[in-house]
Amino acid sequence: MASKSGKEKLIDEEQEVLQAVVLADSWNRRFRPLTTKKPRCLLPICNAPLLDWTFESLALAGVQEVFVVCRSYSELIIQAINSSKWSKPNSGMKISPILTAKETYSAGDAMRDIYTRGLVTSEDFILVHGDLVSNVRIDEVVRVHKERRRKNKDAIMTVVVKEAGVGHRTRSRGDSPIFVVDSDTSECLHYEPAFAYPKKKLAHIPREVLNEHKQVEVRYDLIDCGIDVCSSEVPSLFQDNFDYLDIRRDFVHGVLTSDLLMKNIHIYVEKDGYAARVQDTKSYESVRFTFLSRWTFPLVPTTTTQAANATSTPPARNTSPNRPPPLGTISRSAQISRHTLIGASTSIGDNSRIVASVIGANCVIGSGVVIEDSYVFEGTTVESGCTVRRSIVGSGVVVREGSEVKEGVFGGDGVVVGPGARLREFERLSVPWTRGEGEGSDEDEDSDVEDMETSQGEVDKSTLGADSNAIVWLDKPPEDDDLESPENFLNRRYMRLGASLNVTTMTMPRTPSPSPPKRTTPDSDYDSHTDASVSGRSDLGASLSSGLMADKEFRSEVRQSLERAFAEDHSVDNAAVELKTLRMASNVPLSRVREGVVSAIVEKIPVVEEAAKQRVGRSRRTIGRWGELINRIGGVDAVETVTLLQRMKENYRKTWIVGAQMIHQLDQQSSSEEESEEDDDGDDDKPAGAVSRSAEASDGDDEDDEDD
Amino acid sequence: MQPERTSQHKSVEILAQKLRRRQIVGSRTAALETLVVLRQVVQRARFSNFEQLVEIIRSVGRRLVEAQPKEHSVGNTVRKVLHHIREEYQTVVGRTGPQAGNSTGFSISKFVLQGQPRKQATAQKTEIKTTFKEDDPDDPDAFSKGLKPVLMEAIQDVLDELETVYDNVSKNARDHIHPDEIILTLGRSKTVESFLKTAAHNRHYTIIVAETGPSYDGREMAKSLSSAGISTFLVPDSSIFSLMSRVNKVILGAHVILANGGMFAITGSLIAATAARAHSTPVVVCAGQFKLTPLWNLYHEYGAVDFGNPKDVLGFDEGDLVNKVDVVNPYYDYVKPELIDAYITNDGDHPPSSIYRLLKETYDDEDNEL
Repeated sequence: MASKSGKEKLIDEEQEVLQAVVLADSWNRRFRPLTTKKPRCLLPICNAPLLDWTFESLALAGVQEVFVVCRSYSELIIQAINSSKWSKPNSGMKISPILTAKETYSAGDAMRDIYTRGLVTSEDFILVHGDLVSNVRIDEVVRVHKERRRKNKDAIMTVVVKEAGVGHRTRSRGDSPIFVVDSDTSECLHYEPAFAYPKKKLAHIPREVLNEHKQVEVRYDLIDCGIDVCSSEVPSLFQDNFDYLDIRRDFVHGVLTSDLLMKNIHIYVEKDGYAARVQDTKSYESVRFTFLSRWTFPLVPTTTTQAANATSTPPARNTSPNRPPPLGTISRSAQISRHTLIGASTSIGDNSRIVASVIGANCVIGSGVVIEDSYVFEGTTVESGCTVRRSIVGSGVVVREGSEVKEGVFGGDGVVVGPGARLREFERLSVPWTRGEGEGSDEDEDSDVEDMETSQGEVDKSTLGADSNAIVWLDKPPEDDDLESPENFLNRRYMRLGASLNVTTMTMPRTPSPSPPKRTTPDSDYDSHTDASVSGRSDLGASLSSGLMADKEFRSEVRQSLERAFAEDHSVDNAAVELKTLRMASNVPLSRVREGVVSAIVEKIPVVEEAAKQRVGRSRRTIGRWGELINRIGGVDAVETVTLLQRMKENYRKTWIVGAQMIHQLDQQSSSEEESEEDDDGDDDKPAGAVSRSAEASDGDDEDDEDD
Repeated sequence: MQPERTSQHKSVEILAQKLRRRQIVGSRTAALETLVVLRQVVQRARFSNFEQLVEIIRSVGRRLVEAQPKEHSVGNTVRKVLHHIREEYQTVVGRTGPQAGNSTGFSISKFVLQGQPRKQATAQKTEIKTTFKEDDPDDPDAFSKGLKPVLMEAIQDVLDELETVYDNVSKNARDHIHPDEIILTLGRSKTVESFLKTAAHNRHYTIIVAETGPSYDGREMAKSLSSAGISTFLVPDSSIFSLMSRVNKVILGAHVILANGGMFAITGSLIAATAARAHSTPVVVCAGQFKLTPLWNLYHEYGAVDFGNPKDVLGFDEGDLVNKVDVVNPYYDYVKPELIDAYITNDGDHPPSSIYRLLKETYDDEDNEL
């Protein structure tokens, strides 16, 4: 203690403390049943808890203060943080766990909580999820972000993305968004989520985006790293917009589409670093793979967290460059091939073969066992003659002699299967929930476990083996499946381990349960999108069968109401009001209404074989009477009307002549309006002017055709 | 008096983390940082006898080596400091070294028994013959107070040596490079760079620099050398063998020199050394003494090599390829002693076969395992 000042000097006196917020809850249940007893961020990946990886990534970026927002299993998270090396005074990072209420059902709620607590004191902070693995220099991103903010106060957020090919294994097929970016400023102009199911064939890019920016990139090859550098306004925006739930689908989309906020979001395309989220079991596999092939350098097996408590006995033999920490015993005849990581004091028996797998600490692997592309958590026993392929086996599991575990099986903690079990593909097992196990407070956590238990009667358990204590998780689509969230049943299938199997040809799950799934209280990994209908997004959704039904209905309604209006000679205003109500009721976009109105008016003009003059007169009358309606239903958009008319011409071959005349007359109407409103302005560059010219051109064409 | 829990030192932890996260790379930088930390630790250490002091330094060394076992110069620096401190201690306390008594005549058998031929401390340090009393119950700090200035001096010696290492290595450069020779080198070793530049003061010669993928440090090296007025050629790695027939000498840098005379050096060194052997071209390695490591054949030739990020070889965005191809990107090659002709160090020139002697002189045997 002689000279404290010398010690203090070493600590970098940073100009500002760099803060980070870690959202340690995932708000979905993709890892079930592995996450029935512990939070996802404490699941081991490469034998270290996910949360450690996140901290390590932040430490690499020089973050000094971290807030961990935890909701479910918060005791476990706090315990894990306290016992980790990060809680030591010299770790260089101050980590404070923040407990949020159980009612925090989404990332948005967590952000609102951050706002109300006033946690973030710095100008900008880093927002990450508790399942991040990265070696990105986030401090560099922060620097870029701050520089941009100095020039433009409205640049509130920088999203870190990583370039990767479309078929890249780290890209989640279940949730691979489309970014529309200004090439010069890297401002994100449009964000569109895309899931594997329902399949998206079209991306809708708002017209303004193309109008206002010189050069625009539409990118579908980016991995969303889940690292956001946010300014302090971001939590308050969440507070103001209480319907923002997801950071990407609601917040980013909301900010970009909002006419009121006038805020900008930028993206940062990371070139060198690696970053990915372990957001589903499929990315769990790809992150593991990336890590063992050292893309995450300097986060590599020899230097990672668990190496700290390893003793220094050199391992006996290992051909893999990723030298594991000291081994228990590995039989001489065991084959251990590439991309394998074996935890401390794990023993492996004779003639076993381990390929591209991660085996946790203190496991016992019998002889003649084959483990391929799998993850065995710590303390698990795999007895002789078993085969495990592409599965996740939880901790403390016992797989008895001669069992076979096929692709995509998840075995929850403490499960016993076998002997001679034959597990089917994508089977999910867990131990039955025993009530009164201490944590009575987590009442809602286990609702789905109970569900599973009640439906056990119908399950054929003969394949699990005689000693099994497991219950089988039924794979059934929930009744209220929300296709707009990536959590929908079919989409989830793309996100699980082993999903490279042809998903479409897979048979539907066995034994559909007659009892409806209880959705009383949302629980920890609950996807919040199901109970919040988010308006204003419907126009972006892919066309669905149910949507088509509603559409048809709506069209006939429009037709009926217009027919009534024509027959009873309503005023234009009344008709418009009626249409507006109709539109509100069935929640369809404006373009649909316009389409209906235009087609109705076109049909109203009779097509008779008569002199051109008379015909023009008739159509003029009709349009004079009803043409205004097109503009009244809301939003004057001449370009769209003309486009509609042109499309109409294709549909009704006969009426195209009428269409041409209509364009002509509408054009006269609208241009006269234009002139009356802004008489001093030449209408050269006005959209109406453009229409009139194009309309004239098409008019001429039509006349030519007519003569033939 | 408990020795202070040195692993709790903030500076030690910070350095350990930097090493682990590879924020400090390069043997000399790592060695310098280690010294700075050691100096702080010693300055603040409280000990009442010499063993405690040694234990404190060792525990710091252990912590740092554990954090990054591939950066050998850290361990070497700790060993060197220990060696110096012992030496100073013995001169101060007045005890002659254990071997001083029977240093009559060298013979092979005696040499083995003696352990190390300790160089007699020349120029006896200013006699601080105040009687040191270890484990003084009255004033437990008296010993450490008395010894500290000497310790600081010892550490300063090591620091000075490190700071002048480039100059000392290149001091004899003109004796190694002859007029109008063609020299091949690769990578960007600071030692080699200064060696070549010094030689250029008196000699006119040509240098061929291999690009040294995947880091392509060779490009930087070529730029730097040509700006110093040396006629320089930059060639792709693939042409090393074909050019070797015209090369007079290969000069390499080293990451680590092992006790058996082999070394770890930047990837590509093995190719160059092997090609040189095929053409009987001499291979000379320039390195500072702090790279001498009392280890050899580190448990596995392959496993001991440090592996880097595969992205230098294959971009991560090559989605499809990344899924199917395993990329292994070792930082260093292990070059066997048979392929090396001479080491030029700041402590003179040595053949690989006498590196072990150099090691015995530099470090104490008991420190080989920290």
